[in-house]
Amino acid sequence: MHLEKGKISNFQLSVLIIGFIFGASVIIAPGQGAGHDAWIAIALGLIEGLLIAWIFTALARHFKGKTLVEINSLVYGKFLGNFISILFIWYLFHLGALVLNNYSRFLKLELYPATPKILTLILIMLVCASSVRRGIEVLARCSLILVTLTVFVVIFDTLLVAPHMYLHNLLPVLEVPIGKLLWNSHATATFPFGDAVAFLMVLAFVNKPEKSRSAVFKGIVIAGLVLIIVAVRNAAVLGQMAAIYTYPSYITARVIDVGDVLTRVEVLVAVDLITMGFFKISVAYYGTVLGLAQVFNLRSYRPIILPIGILMVILALTNVSNTAEMFDFANKGYPIYTIPFQIAIPLITLLLAKLRKLPQTGGEQA
Amino acid sequence: MKRKHRLTIYLFILLVIIPVFISGCWDSIELNKLSIISGLGWDIDADTGQVTLTFQSIIPNEIKGAAGSNGSGGQRRGDPLHTIQLDSSTGSSAYDALNRYSQHSSRRTFYQHTQVYVFGHSAAQQGIYPFLDSISRNPINRPNVLMAVAEKNASDTLSVEDGMENIQAIGMAAEIKLSAEYSKYPSITFLEFANRLISKTTAPLAPMIGIIEQTAPKGDRVKKARINGTAVFNGDRMIGQLNEDESRGLLWAINKIKKGFLVIPGANLEIVSAKSIIVPELQGDKIMITIAIDEESNLLEYDGHREISSALLQDLEKDQAQEIESQVMAAVEKSRALNADVFGFGEAVHRRYKKEWPDLKARWEEIYPNIEVVVKVKTHVNEIGEIKKTMIKD
Repeated sequence: MHLEKGKISNFQLSVLIIGFIFGASVIIAPGQGAGHDAWIAIALGLIEGLLIAWIFTALARHFKGKTLVEINSLVYGKFLGNFISILFIWYLFHLGALVLNNYSRFLKLELYPATPKILTLILIMLVCASSVRRGIEVLARCSLILVTLTVFVVIFDTLLVAPHMYLHNLLPVLEVPIGKLLWNSHATATFPFGDAVAFLMVLAFVNKPEKSRSAVFKGIVIAGLVLIIVAVRNAAVLGQMAAIYTYPSYITARVIDVGDVLTRVEVLVAVDLITMGFFKISVAYYGTVLGLAQVFNLRSYRPIILPIGILMVILALTNVSNTAEMFDFANKGYPIYTIPFQIAIPLITLLLAKLRKLPQTGGEQA
Repeated sequence: MKRKHRLTIYLFILLVIIPVFISGCWDSIELNKLSIISGLGWDIDADTGQVTLTFQSIIPNEIKGAAGSNGSGGQRRGDPLHTIQLDSSTGSSAYDALNRYSQHSSRRTFYQHTQVYVFGHSAAQQGIYPFLDSISRNPINRPNVLMAVAEKNASDTLSVEDGMENIQAIGMAAEIKLSAEYSKYPSITFLEFANRLISKTTAPLAPMIGIIEQTAPKGDRVKKARINGTAVFNGDRMIGQLNEDESRGLLWAINKIKKGFLVIPGANLEIVSAKSIIVPELQGDKIMITIAIDEESNLLEYDGHREISSALLQDLEKDQAQEIESQVMAAVEKSRALNADVFGFGEAVHRRYKKEWPDLKARWEEIYPNIEVVVKVKTHVNEIGEIKKTMIKD
């Protein structure tokens, strides 16, 4: 059964992963709790994120051309497998709703104070629905353009703000207590790097699956390096205020002032969020609808795109009651909440598959 | 075939119509419905504790007309044409006052072009954190808005009509920036102020703006706003101020000297470049701070009668070094007297001795006045100008 007929290349996969990881992290500074040592937290988180990626790419390599839902029903059998798949689909669905939530909060605060949140949510959801409907290929193709644009904007912003950077703001290095540093690095490993586990629903459609691991690693490392640069930049420009601002990257772009002429370019950062958030939401959205279609043996995932989208918007509007709660969850709850999905499910499935010596025939199972 | 054709036409019409409705933001407002705030003043009534915000707003329609009349007529700028409007509102807190203003103002207030926040003297002494909190919580705040403390009231200072600018707050911001460029007084942005405030040991600063009266060529008295000192804060409360020499000394120490002039007995020099670094050293329980300054200058005027020679220039360099050192020490003395770490010595220690820092930070108020400060100045006179000998010889 083929719900998805498209194929993407490994290069497209890397770029899509970069876009996915930038997702909300262009706005929500990862590792912010580590103060000016955020870049160290991100670097450590990147390593842990690569470990997480190693696990899920190992699983994907073990079952070439199969999504997590298909793998689960092979490994655990129909009933238990589908149960685990539903759990994982919940994670994807919730992830999409969380990103939507960040998204609408940011836009409401900074850009459209009088526009109802639901309107921004519906608009972005329609775009995502359209891209999901067209399949993974289309998403991968537009990532090429938009991610290049975003990386360019980040470099542009960094260069322009360079005169306002004071690198001594990064001193003393490693001031944050080691426990706090490790916690924050684990938090950055789960968000944004570990979220790439969503690609278990996408890796099946890579045209050269044997090389998909290096493509995933490339994407994560490049995104991680850019995030480290951003963290260093923010701390160097904003000093200790970097830990206080809700959206430090946005404020950093506000500092840009080239000869009183080139100022107020912070909206570029908002454009970054809008485009990169689109990828994160779309991939999570895509995983959700594709997974559900596979669990319930639908002939096509298209009919459930809009209903799921509506549910996602509703969850995004209701799941977090205020911004403080959003950050509390992101800093305290999320790093633990995601462990089962990002580490446990792929790891246990992989171990069981090895123990049971699956796949035995490589034949297809409906 | 025909049906498909018709569909294309419908789609085309839709594509044309839709952008008409989605082209603007939900809450878009035309320029002539806005009152653009150029400067915000903050005063607190010492007796009642009531907050008065002073708004200097630009009236967009008038700017163009006023700019045209400047060259042609002898009219006083701004006066008949009202390029700016001053308004104030009083409330129990910053936001209360702000909201009251928004309610009675006929135009929607637009803060994104605010140039300067001016704090009244007594408000600064009572603490400006309520204002800082409310302004930084709001997306209208930009991190590079300049901070200033008025010598008396913020409202008076913002109402002074002065300068070449139609909009006084822009003139004021330009003056603050110029004074920093010519290394007289520091220009402190909101971001710098906030960072100094967070560090707890470093004292926040802001230039002070006073009002002077001058006699204009036609004989009438004209008020002008002039920077005349640096306000020093402890936390969010202003506790004292640095005068001109002390401010210069401060700038030498914190590496904020860009260009400017240095007057020493018998000569005037132009500062070309200057660099300084603060090196802390922890010896047991004692902290020693070395401020190393490296300066280069050109000779602008020389009143003495000695022949210009490298020996003379070396003497000038020595005098210069002495002058710089005395300026820095004046600032050090004043900051010791105020017990306010205006130089960020604490942060310098913090960067180098992170283990000892928490303990030192707790006792910083006791430690600071007793820190030993050594100033090392290296100066160099580079150019002597177009004449190489004096015209009057002894």
